[in-house]
Amino acid sequence: MTITTSMDDASNRARRFVRRRDVRQVFLLWLALTVVLVVFGATVPARLMGAGASPSMHAIKNTMTLFSIAAAPVAAVVWAIALYSLIAWRHRGNTQPESDGPPLRTNKPAAVLWILLSSVLCVFLLIWGLAEMGSVDAAGATSDAMVVDVTGQQWVWTFSYPQEGNIESDQLYLPVDKPVVFHVTSKDVIHSFWVVQLGIKVDANPGETTTTSVVPDRIGVYDVRCAELCGLLHADMETNAHVVSADDFNKWVADNGGQSS
Amino acid sequence: MSEAMVKLGASPEVDHGGGWMRRLNLGTAIAGGVILGAIGWFFAHHFTDSTDPRVSDQVTLITLACWAIGFMVGIGAFNGPIRWLTGRDQTHADEMFLAGKDQGVSRYFRFTTDHKVVGIQYLVATMLLLGCGGTLAMMIRTQLITPHSTFLGPQTYNSIVGLHGIIMIIATIIMVTGPFGNFILPIMIGARDMAFPRLNALSFWLLAAAIPVLLSAGFMGGIPTGWSGYAPLADQAPPGMDGYLMAIIIFAISSAVAGANITTTVLTMRARGMTWNRTPIFIYGTVASVGLALPALPMFMSAQVLLAVDRTVSGKFYDAAGGGSPWLYQNLFWLFGHPEVYVILVPAVIALMELTPVFARKPLYNFNAAVLGIVGIVGLSVMVWAHHMYASGWAPDLNGPFMLTTEMISVPTGVLFLVVIGTIWRGKIWTTIPMMATYAMLWNFIIGGVTGIYLSDVPADYDLHGSMFVTAHFHYTLMGAGLTGAIGALFYWFPKMTGRMLSHKLGLVSFWMVQIGFNVVFLGMFAVGLAGQPRRVFTYDHMFAVGNFVSSIGAYVIGLGMLVLLYTVISGWRRGPIAPSNPWGGKTLEWAVPNPIPLENFEVLPVVISDAYGYGEGDVSPGHWVEPAEPLEPAHAGAGAPDVETSTVPLQEGRAE
Amino acid sequence: MTAVTAGEPVPHHENLETVFRRQRTGVVLLLVADVAFVGSLVFSYFYLRGLNTEGGWLAKDMSIAPIWEGWALAGGLVVSAAVYYWGQVGLTRDNNVRQLKTATALATFVVLLDAVGQVAQLVSLPFGVQDSSYASEMYVIAGAGLFHLLLALFIGVGMWNRSRIGKYSASDPFQVRIVGIWWTWIAIAAVVTAFTTSFVASPNHIVGG
Repeated sequence: MTITTSMDDASNRARRFVRRRDVRQVFLLWLALTVVLVVFGATVPARLMGAGASPSMHAIKNTMTLFSIAAAPVAAVVWAIALYSLIAWRHRGNTQPESDGPPLRTNKPAAVLWILLSSVLCVFLLIWGLAEMGSVDAAGATSDAMVVDVTGQQWVWTFSYPQEGNIESDQLYLPVDKPVVFHVTSKDVIHSFWVVQLGIKVDANPGETTTTSVVPDRIGVYDVRCAELCGLLHADMETNAHVVSADDFNKWVADNGGQSS
Repeated sequence: MSEAMVKLGASPEVDHGGGWMRRLNLGTAIAGGVILGAIGWFFAHHFTDSTDPRVSDQVTLITLACWAIGFMVGIGAFNGPIRWLTGRDQTHADEMFLAGKDQGVSRYFRFTTDHKVVGIQYLVATMLLLGCGGTLAMMIRTQLITPHSTFLGPQTYNSIVGLHGIIMIIATIIMVTGPFGNFILPIMIGARDMAFPRLNALSFWLLAAAIPVLLSAGFMGGIPTGWSGYAPLADQAPPGMDGYLMAIIIFAISSAVAGANITTTVLTMRARGMTWNRTPIFIYGTVASVGLALPALPMFMSAQVLLAVDRTVSGKFYDAAGGGSPWLYQNLFWLFGHPEVYVILVPAVIALMELTPVFARKPLYNFNAAVLGIVGIVGLSVMVWAHHMYASGWAPDLNGPFMLTTEMISVPTGVLFLVVIGTIWRGKIWTTIPMMATYAMLWNFIIGGVTGIYLSDVPADYDLHGSMFVTAHFHYTLMGAGLTGAIGALFYWFPKMTGRMLSHKLGLVSFWMVQIGFNVVFLGMFAVGLAGQPRRVFTYDHMFAVGNFVSSIGAYVIGLGMLVLLYTVISGWRRGPIAPSNPWGGKTLEWAVPNPIPLENFEVLPVVISDAYGYGEGDVSPGHWVEPAEPLEPAHAGAGAPDVETSTVPLQEGRAE
Repeated sequence: MTAVTAGEPVPHHENLETVFRRQRTGVVLLLVADVAFVGSLVFSYFYLRGLNTEGGWLAKDMSIAPIWEGWALAGGLVVSAAVYYWGQVGLTRDNNVRQLKTATALATFVVLLDAVGQVAQLVSLPFGVQDSSYASEMYVIAGAGLFHLLLALFIGVGMWNRSRIGKYSASDPFQVRIVGIWWTWIAIAAVVTAFTTSFVASPNHIVGG
């Protein structure tokens, strides 16, 4: 009888494990599923979200894509084992199997490895999220940001521009590439100010003013929707955000009776 | 049970026990509710100022409260306390009557304390609620099948969205703990009944009182705020909102009572020898869920009590103009609301975890990890609530910490997946409907869990919050994992609860229709959510048309599948094949009792000598339990009681792989 | 369906101590729910006071509830709990049923006085429930206190009656002890709410409103 150390023992066991037929087949299945899910995750969410119009939205789309890709191998492990079990380990017949499966109860290394990997993944997601939060919050919160006051009320949005002579409008006009800070409030119930393609959302509360900021970086017409059920015509509480060139913005301000700052 | 007296010898006059309770049943309960409700309505009208804009809420709440009290009087819920007050405690004959002895079917319509009766009552209540909620869902999806449908106007649509939500929330809270936590759990731990049989009946009948209150909201303008009932919109709402908040207040009391009962039962009434290591995982899951509900439901109740004050007497809890804050409502609500989703999810997933070893013929994998997973989820769930409020502006600096706690929940959740796939690994997979439910859960819960991680990321949530993405996420978790788990549990335990088998073929039809329909609905919903469709909208932009159309088709498939399930259950209950007492070869104690189950479950209380997962251990396994040579006193494996071995069979440690 | 209740139930005696531990567990768990509810009221009071939305925590020129009232009510409950405890100890130590009878009668009477006092406070609050969020909080906290008192009244009358007819003794004091837990809790709850409502002015000074 040879005397082996526990390390040799463990590595022997590990080697025997990976050489097993079922382990190899599950591995291949896992690989295939991971590839499919990575391709899906890398393309579909971002495609569905449409083109973003601000660094914030680009960051959000990147997050969705990255998280989807990161989730792919995890989902694939679960689904590969589930799928393989139905192919290779399925009991054919309507009655109880005559004999039982192997009495495998505890596998501490597997549990530890699993918890470790998921914790590492969790820490990674967290750090990514915090960094993303930092960049998104800093984006528009500069001292020279243009201020737009947003007022929600059942069931319209009103935008006013204190720095451009307090002009009011029910369409949101923003100059491209300029940071803008929104001060949002409500006259009645809770609404939620959501500019979809700019990737910003903050609730409009009665009696409070909330803030969000963004730097629009693409010219176009985007959707402003209410994202908090606010009564009968919540579904109709929509308007447009027009991101235009600086000149067009000044023209719009002037046309509406204000003075550009 | 505090002074249970054995009736020794024959008395000249046979005392049938029960007293007043003999005459009280569902009929007298409804009569009591209607009469007292009418009296309350009359006096409320008389004593309120009809020019007060709040008068309809005052009258509605008083009427509904009187209905509830009258209903409870009529079912005999106050009989116990009054007899206690007057010192006339229950006799043994009273207890036997209350337990439903020799009463046949009528015991299901009474204040019956037998946990098996209560379990069946909860099952019927759950099915009723799911049916109502499901019908509303069909109406919702019909409205949304095209962009500018006029099938329902905005008022009707908004009000049924909220009603659908709250009905389903209540249904899913009770769907596993109610039927199976009551019927199966005491037998599974080797007890004769619950710790507090009369509280058991009370918790069911409180729910029964609350259901008409809730459904009445549909006739009083519905719940046009969504199921979450945010103030101050909830302040504007019609009297249906009063039905909502009164139903919740009653339901919270019912839940607290049930939670105390189930937890005490498990803590103090496990069979001798059932140490925590030998306690089936379903017990852990149920106790975790109801234990979590104990501090959580009162938060919901509190939010509604304050709302009631605002609505009836113009209180200023949520009215910003008077120093109130909508953020107060949101905090109270989500302090309940997040733990609540685990109250819903954990019993369903853990029920599947309990049945998977039976259909894989393998021990539960990493039992300790499963327990840690449950504890981790429940423990963390009280620290994540404000991830529902990232976009509310209430405390932007707290968004980061809540993102941390929320993302951490993925770790113990992942452990649960490890346990299930580890149990399946190399098993002998017997693809019964319960086992198929486990596979469906593995698919649905991965999608639900991963999409939850997207939502936990603060900037991503700025895009996704309040969109259909959220709706799809929580349907994947609560319905895809939760309801699927409940259906699996139903097919698993139906033979024990009713003595009949459910049709496997019909079960297959329903299973595939529901699961395929479900995935079609909610994958389509993720798509429109990512594209920018808000939630709770009765109409939407043309750009979302395809996704919504697809979702609605899927919904009809679910509807048909659920009708097939209903037919399966009813026909199985009435004429299904008689079930053997252990059709699945399970090892937990409920499979050891014969069908029909004796009133007090066990002739002789068993002694547990090992856990219930000894599959594949052949002759070496000692088995889960033995019958002691001499009948024991009732189980007292409670706090502090030493683990006394009465068997000399040596225990086997589980062997590692 | 198990339509027939098969078999004769097995007659069994339960060890009283076992039953007591089980009932105590149940009561403690129910109290968890009550503690959560009272906690939510305390939380909502401090939260609204801290936010002082639109400066509306206290309405302009509003009188506040005299702080001593809450403390007096709490004090009454503490006295009541102490009296009850005296009765409980008399039973468990000396099997003095008379002492228990007296104690429960006295403690219940104090609860009755407290309940009357609580109602008096409610009707004499120098503001309406709709005047401000502070006002609404005071009414709800007082109402919750009254609810506790009414329950305690019922339980107290029951305990007095049952001790009078001899339900309790030194060998079976268990229900007395369990009720003692309840009595202690409602006294604590009253102290906590008195403490909470003694903080009135908001630390968040908002101009206007």
